[in-house]
Formats: sequence, C-alpha cells, structure tokens
Amino acid sequence: MKKRISLIHQAGALRSYFPSSNITRKGERELIWVGELTPTPLSDTYKIKLHFLDGEFIRINVLAPVLRLAPTATGLPHVYSTEKQELCLYYPKDNEWDPSMYYVRTLIPWASEWLYHYEVWLATGGVWHGGGIDHNGNEETKQQVAALLN
Amino acid sequence: MLTPEQKKQFNEIFDHLSKSLNISKERYDQAVASYQFVGDWLARPESALAPYKPEILPQGSFIFGTMIEPVDECDDLDIDLVCRLTGKNDSWTQYHLKKIVGDRLKDHGTFKRMLDKEGRRCWTLLHRDQARFHMDILPAIINEEYFVILEKAMSANRQQDFETAAIRITDKLTHNYSSSTNPDEWLKSNPFGLAAWFKLRASLALQKAMSLNEAIQPVPDNETNKLPLQCVVQILKRHRDILFKGDEQKPISIIITVLSARAYKGETDVLDALISIVNTMENFIEERYDRASGKNVKWISNPVNPEENFADKWPAEPAKQEKFFKWLECVKKDVNQVITQKGLHNIQTAMAKSFGERTVNNVFSKIGENAKAQRDGGVMKMAASTGVLGSSGRAHVGYHNNFGK
Repeated sequence: MKKRISLIHQAGALRSYFPSSNITRKGERELIWVGELTPTPLSDTYKIKLHFLDGEFIRINVLAPVLRLAPTATGLPHVYSTEKQELCLYYPKDNEWDPSMYYVRTLIPWASEWLYHYEVWLATGGVWHGGGIDHNGNEETKQQVAALLN
Repeated sequence: MLTPEQKKQFNEIFDHLSKSLNISKERYDQAVASYQFVGDWLARPESALAPYKPEILPQGSFIFGTMIEPVDECDDLDIDLVCRLTGKNDSWTQYHLKKIVGDRLKDHGTFKRMLDKEGRRCWTLLHRDQARFHMDILPAIINEEYFVILEKAMSANRQQDFETAAIRITDKLTHNYSSSTNPDEWLKSNPFGLAAWFKLRASLALQKAMSLNEAIQPVPDNETNKLPLQCVVQILKRHRDILFKGDEQKPISIIITVLSARAYKGETDVLDALISIVNTMENFIEERYDRASGKNVKWISNPVNPEENFADKWPAEPAKQEKFFKWLECVKKDVNQVITQKGLHNIQTAMAKSFGERTVNNVFSKIGENAKAQRDGGVMKMAASTGVLGSSGRAHVGYHNNFGK
C-alpha cells in the first residue's frame, strides 16, 4: 500500500502553486480547495472546487461559469454529472489516481486539461479530442476498457 | 492588450487557419500534373510550337503561394498559367500565335473537349471531372534575357530593374492584333516580375532574401512553411470570399495581394502582420488625375509596371470601389472582434463567421489533437497560479486515461 500524502502537505502544495486560492482543511479527514484555472492564455477562467473526504470521495467540480453544451450534445463529455459540472478525470478502475499523489501534480492539471478540451469540444461542434474512455462508447472503446482491466 | 503568451497562441491559431486554407495536396498534385501534361503536349516534336521550346509556368496566386480552397469545396479552382515561348516564327502576328497554341490544344481529344470559348488573352481548359479546376493559359513570348533581368532585379532588389523586364502577350482588343509581327509592339506583361517582387516582400521576414529560382518555381511548394505575408493574403482572401460569396464585384485577389505586400513591414508572425496590414493597406491606394475623365481616380499600381492600375475598373463600376472599402472596414472590425474574445470557443465563433465554419472547426480540431499529443508525449506542463497548460510550467501533466465516463 502506497503511503497517503498528509493533507497538511497537500494543502501546503496547493498554497504554493495557487497562492490566491482558498483552502479549508479539517485535520486529516477533509480538504476543500477553491481556485481558478485558465487552461490556455486565450481561455476563459474557471472557478474550480476540489473536495476530498477521507474514505468517501474526491470530487472536482466547476463552480463557475455555467458550462455550455455543443449544439448536438445532451450533456457534457466525461463528467459524473452535467448538472453539478462534476468532472471525471481518470479511469477509476485503473488506479490512475490514489491519495499517494499530489493534487497539484495530477487532478488539478488534469482538470485544466479537461477545460482545455471542453473549449475545443465547443469550438469543433462537439468533437472531444482529449481521449479517454467512454463507458457508453463503441466496441473499440469497450475493448480498450477490457484490455485495461486484464 | 494581449499578453505575449496570448499573442503566441493567436499566432498558432492563425497559422493553423492559413494551413487549413491551403488547397489539398491531392488537388494540388492533380493541378500540377495537368499543367505539366499540357506543357509536354505543346512541346512534342510534331507540334508547330516545338522550335520555340514551349513551357507552362504558373503565375498569380499559384506562384505567390497564396492559393486558397474555395469556400464551397465543389467550386472550381482557377489556375493562371503562362505558356512561355522563346521567340516565334517571324511571320506570326498575335492572332497567329494565339491560334497556333489553340490549334495545338485542339489536336488533343481531351483538351479539345475541355477547351472553353476563346478568351481575350487566354485559352481556358475546364476540368469538368472530379478535379474541379480550370486553367487559364496565357500565350506569351519570353526571351532568355527576361529571366536574366529578373535575376538581377531580384538580387539588387531594385524597382527600376523589375520594370525593365517584360514578356509580350496577345490581346484581341489591341489595334495591331492581326497586323504586327514585331513582339516589341505587342502588349507587355510582367507576371514573373510581379511574383519575384511579391516573394521579395514576403522574404522580409527571413534573414536572407530569396533567389529568383526560389521565387519562381515551375512547381511551387504547396504547404511547407508559408511566410507570414503569404498567410495573411490567404486569410484576407478567405474573408472576402465569405463576405461576398459569388458576388462578381468583390475585391479582386491581385488588389488584396499587392496592397498587403506593400503594407507588409517584415513582421515575423502572422498576427502582427495581419493587424498591421489591415490597418495600413489603404494608405497604398493613390489618387491620380485621369485625363480622360478629368477626375481623380483611385490608383493601385502594379509594382513592376506603375502605369498599370489594378483598380482600373473602379471608375466605370463604382460598386467595385465601394465593395473594396466595405470589405476593408469589415475585415478590420472582424479581426478586432476575434482578438478581443476570451475562451477558445468564443474565438472559434467569431472566426467561423469571418472565415467559414468548416475551415475554422478544422483549426480547432488540430489544436485539440496537438494538445493531446503534447500530453501523451509527456511534454505538457501546467503553470502555477494560473493553471495554464503549455510546454513550460511547474507541474508535468502526467499520463492518465482521461477521461472516464
């Protein structure tokens, strides 16, 4: 079992990377970070919330602005919830993220990357160029999933 | 005001835009193969033209490197070609030269079917098949000296040297069309001088000037590394095509090209060049007194022949002049609209209106693909405090199978 990074260190790293962001920590049990990400120099700026609750969940939500949908889409791509703007940034079954990893080196750059591809998604009329696994996808992606699980 | 990072990103976007406007390699290769085939046919030993070593060379946007895909993929590309002859039979008038070129084309079954009705100066071959282009072939007498003069003009970059170079062409509307056998009395033209001049302007962005051989190639490069001036001309021509669609009175390409080249100051990136050109190109339109009408007229001189006015149609068709200025106002406004947006999707919306939805979607697809490749290649980083992604920054963006569901 890899060693979990203490939330004190997570908070310290967040403060170091994003000095003007807000960090709330309850001991080693809970951490909430609210900060701003601008994925490219010409991009919009997005208010992001990262919420970790030990043993329960880690969630990344876009708090603002309200994200738009590409003309033909019924929901945002690669999210747990379009309504809550809750991003799905890694494939949980593949252990791509675990608490031994710093947020500032994983989830937060991944969130910025998600935002980058969200803008491109809108700019291409709904084509996702960020890659990833679509649970409702075609046979090929299902095979990719199967390969990852083996 | 844009930050240096924002400018850099806009340059990438406009660079991709120019690349997306290039005609496809497939179509380009077809066009080249077609005109080379015409050249070979004219030069075969049994051809009456054979003794004068006929050669087909591209001119206009093809040789400037400013050709663009039509807005509608189904529309024809125009390819302007010169049929170069070194000397001629002493008894030939313009009429003979034009007819002999036409007759030789008609000797070939396919060309005969493709040939359009005779033009004032050109023969036109229409490709009605899937290739979708037509070729205007301008018969011309070019002596060896012509290229020697151009070479000299180019290396010395002296305006007056360009002006001494000329080829002789046929023109049905000249009074001596079927009488004069002396090419010195025929209409002058200088398409390669103009191309050489344009390439010299474009190469202001480079450390060293271009040679004549680089400037005028029988098969010019299609996509490799366009210079900023070439990109700007492509972008401006596309803006015109979107604004005016099929309108016959839209600003002609040569006016956009020459004014852009005059206004260009050697900016090394597309964004700076674009902004500076749209804001200053107007200053290169002169007013000259026209004796015939007793009025001042707008004058856009041919850089290699100042007596030729590219805007010569404006006095008789004032709508053409109005539409040019309308276009210029519009392009200034639209470029400004694009560069004041935030959010790639908002930039896309502004660009799609001016440059076409399909083309601009391609631009952003490329950008998305590049971002993914950068991440997959392990070279994407995130800057602290902003979260900006790019090739520099504090945190590496590591591999992850983004994104789940």
